[in-house]
Amino acid sequence: MGKVRSLERHYSKWGYIFVIPFVVVFLIFHFWPLGSTIYYAFCYLKHAGNTNPEFLPSIGQPWYKNFAEIFKSKSFWDALKNTLFFWIAQLIPEWIIAFWLAAVMTDRRAKIKGRAIFKFAFFFPKLVAGTALGGSLLVFMISFFASSVGITLAISEIDGFGLTPENMEFFTSVRFFIIIVSIFLHFGITFIYAIAGITGIPVESFEAAEIDGATRTQTFFRVTLPSMKPMLFFITVITVVDGLGMIEIPSYFGSFDTLRRNLTLMMYLENQAFMGSYAYDRAAAASLVLLFVYIVISGFVYYFLLYDKDESKAKKLQKEARRASAE
Amino acid sequence: MSTNIPSLSETKKKDLILKIVTYILSIGLSILILMPFIFLMREIFGDETYIQPGPGGTFEIVRVPRKTLMTFKEFLGLFNSWSFIPLKNSLIVSVTSTFLNIYFSALTAYALTAYKWKLREAFEKGIIIAMMIPTTVASLGFIQLTYKFGLINKLFILIIPALATPLTVFFMRMYLKATFSQEILEAARIDGAGEFRIFNQIMLPIMKPAIATQTIFCFVSSWSEVWVPSIILLDDNKKTLSIFNSAKVLAPPGGLELMMVIPPILVYVFCSKHIVEGVALGSVKN
Repeated sequence: MGKVRSLERHYSKWGYIFVIPFVVVFLIFHFWPLGSTIYYAFCYLKHAGNTNPEFLPSIGQPWYKNFAEIFKSKSFWDALKNTLFFWIAQLIPEWIIAFWLAAVMTDRRAKIKGRAIFKFAFFFPKLVAGTALGGSLLVFMISFFASSVGITLAISEIDGFGLTPENMEFFTSVRFFIIIVSIFLHFGITFIYAIAGITGIPVESFEAAEIDGATRTQTFFRVTLPSMKPMLFFITVITVVDGLGMIEIPSYFGSFDTLRRNLTLMMYLENQAFMGSYAYDRAAAASLVLLFVYIVISGFVYYFLLYDKDESKAKKLQKEARRASAE
Repeated sequence: MSTNIPSLSETKKKDLILKIVTYILSIGLSILILMPFIFLMREIFGDETYIQPGPGGTFEIVRVPRKTLMTFKEFLGLFNSWSFIPLKNSLIVSVTSTFLNIYFSALTAYALTAYKWKLREAFEKGIIIAMMIPTTVASLGFIQLTYKFGLINKLFILIIPALATPLTVFFMRMYLKATFSQEILEAARIDGAGEFRIFNQIMLPIMKPAIATQTIFCFVSSWSEVWVPSIILLDDNKKTLSIFNSAKVLAPPGGLELMMVIPPILVYVFCSKHIVEGVALGSVKN
């Protein structure tokens, strides 16, 4: 017994050795910047290239000055509202289409062919997007939807639904195009990971559901989703990270929109820090707010998808038992 | 009982409808998605197109037609010696950062799976927390760090941080949980292989599907990253392709646009055969 223990200890040192590079780089290039961003939020740090933060109370100002400034500005609240709105409006249709298609394409009874081709096609925007294709994607979408809105209006004139151009305004506005293009960009990622998750579920579970006479919808919600929880968590995290950090697509529309219809939190942050005003301290305060939003949403996601209630209950019971035996 | 079970022909009918709907939807989506690529080609070879704001938040598409279609000689002229500098920079950054990201994430995930060490569970919890906090939140501190140490215009500052990507570690860990077997490890140990050699020669090949999947995603995201590079790289000879292609600068020359598009497609085509499929990713066993 003792020999096995010492052998295990002999090998366990390799666990530490293998994670050293990760830990070192993480601490220097991710943890330190995060810590300093939090610190800057309570400092005075303005002017381009300034690397000398002054702690606010030490120069006789209240510690919450930066937060007070951004909470007072209307554009910050607009940015926060827009970000959440874009994220939710993008998430719901994207997930419905992606998961539905993934579920049908992996269905053993439906036997859909050409999955690899569809995967490539759906992932294609992300492959070439970011920068080069984004512009042409937008041009295409705008012309496509503008024409379909025109057609709808023309039909409603004949039919008399009572649709006026004002009713359709949303469908020709910046917000609508931002949402549509974001869906197109992210849809492929969700689709590929969803397929990876679903195909990983043992065939026996589907067979069992089939024998029990479950419909497809029942199978999807009772068997498929619960058995791919870690993958679901991974997909959700990606969606949260990308969706709330949205900057590229909205900034195609530039900052000329005086009503701030396309302003997101990341754009606000960029405007504060690097475009003209060089108020790094205010930008840091805005990042802290963004961090807070991330933590709240991720906390919910973690609680619903990965948190194991039975396990934590069992641990609690164990602790109590140990305490009881110690007494 | 029998009334609840739909008859066989009815199920078949339903299946057929489902099949048709799926094909129409996915083919339609594919066409809709691939269409903009034709627009892009037209932009490179034909008209110049850009978006202009109209009144009341609407948009107009302005087309400046070219007098003649681009000739082959003109097309070759797009690839002058200067335009290869951003391509080289982009390749250096994306290839090395993807390699570091994949290799060390695999190593970290392996350390979490194969060895029993004291801080293992705490470390895994830390990875899950870290993956939910994206680097964009800390980008301000990161840029200040580069200012402070005079690392502006250095490419390696964009490469090294990729080594520690919790998201990739989580994915690799998910994959290893499903495929790792203690027997292989022990057999290799008996044969006298060192721990590091076991990882490189036995474990890495096992993780091939996970590596291929993550290579695509890491390469694409690093290839199209604009925000932080555009602030750190100020020298024109150090700028990456994505900076030139971003909307903030004037319309880039067509050659740069084409260079931007092709490498990610090549990476996808090269890796897509091995994309993860059919492996029980962290799913409930039994």
